[in-house]
Amino acid sequence: MPFVTQFVTLAGRVVPRRVSAVTYGVIAGLLAVGVQVFFGVKPPPAYGICVACHTRDMIAWLVNHLAGTHWEIAPVSLILPLLTTVGLLIGAYLAAVRNHERRKVALGGHWRSFVYGILVVNAAIVALGCPTRLLLLSAYGDMLALLTVAGLAVGILMGTILLSRGIAN
Amino acid sequence: MEPALVTLIMGVILGYLAQRSRICFIGGLRDFVLVRDTELLKGAAAFFVTTWLAFSVAGALGLVDWRAPAYGGDASAQPVVMDASKPAVAPASSALDVGLPVLTVAVVAGIALGLFSTLANGCPTRQHVLAAQGVRDSVFYLGGFYLGVVVYNLVTKPLLALVF
Repeated sequence: MPFVTQFVTLAGRVVPRRVSAVTYGVIAGLLAVGVQVFFGVKPPPAYGICVACHTRDMIAWLVNHLAGTHWEIAPVSLILPLLTTVGLLIGAYLAAVRNHERRKVALGGHWRSFVYGILVVNAAIVALGCPTRLLLLSAYGDMLALLTVAGLAVGILMGTILLSRGIAN
Repeated sequence: MEPALVTLIMGVILGYLAQRSRICFIGGLRDFVLVRDTELLKGAAAFFVTTWLAFSVAGALGLVDWRAPAYGGDASAQPVVMDASKPAVAPASSALDVGLPVLTVAVVAGIALGLFSTLANGCPTRQHVLAAQGVRDSVFYLGGFYLGVVVYNLVTKPLLALVF
């Protein structure tokens, strides 16, 4: 598609090959606040970026419309769901194609990953959001989210210990 | 502009940058503990500092209506925790008077989120990037991620209702 080619060419010119994590953090931070303040991605507040919640909204919106259920959905997603996660996939795909990093890799843990996906999205929805939104909420001033971030850190430490001792995987 | 379109465009930008930077907010702490690599941790810190500053500036300019973040999806029922007349720079110490069950569930869910994400090899953002890059495991992870929303509504939510 010509549009895709143009975008990839443009992105390749504008974005350097290597982007530091700090650059990502700053740009993502500005976007997360910017879409709430200037583009009305609310309510709820501090909802600009949340991979888990936006996925929840998207799936729940689909199921609600197809099956007539009344699953929980954020007010901002009522008419049309937020499509951050779709954008993420498209953007990452384009970046991988542009830099010749797209290749089929099978690490051999398919069903384990599948189960982790189920567990993570459930934990994330209960915990107010994915790690990104927990930081966003904390910055917004929600002390409960800050407490959850502390829990998140404990969980990561536990997981890292399991990984380093070779207990998991 | 329509929020769906705005977030779609934002997502494309984020996805592109995330693929180039290999960002992972879970991986930050993991890498630091395992190999003392602070690159990803700095990314998470930069995100937090940037959002804090941006919210403070936007709040000082009167662009933010300070409402307590919704615990679930319904923000309309939330009380106003901070009005525009108060200084917006300091974070509102608001949501800790929610009761012990909510606090416990939030912290336990946070621990579970950190643990499972670490074992799954990355936060949800990173998994999206890997899936788009062609990693099969992450494609399966995404399948679980989508099915997990169904599981949440059919199993987890009724279970949580027993706690509250």
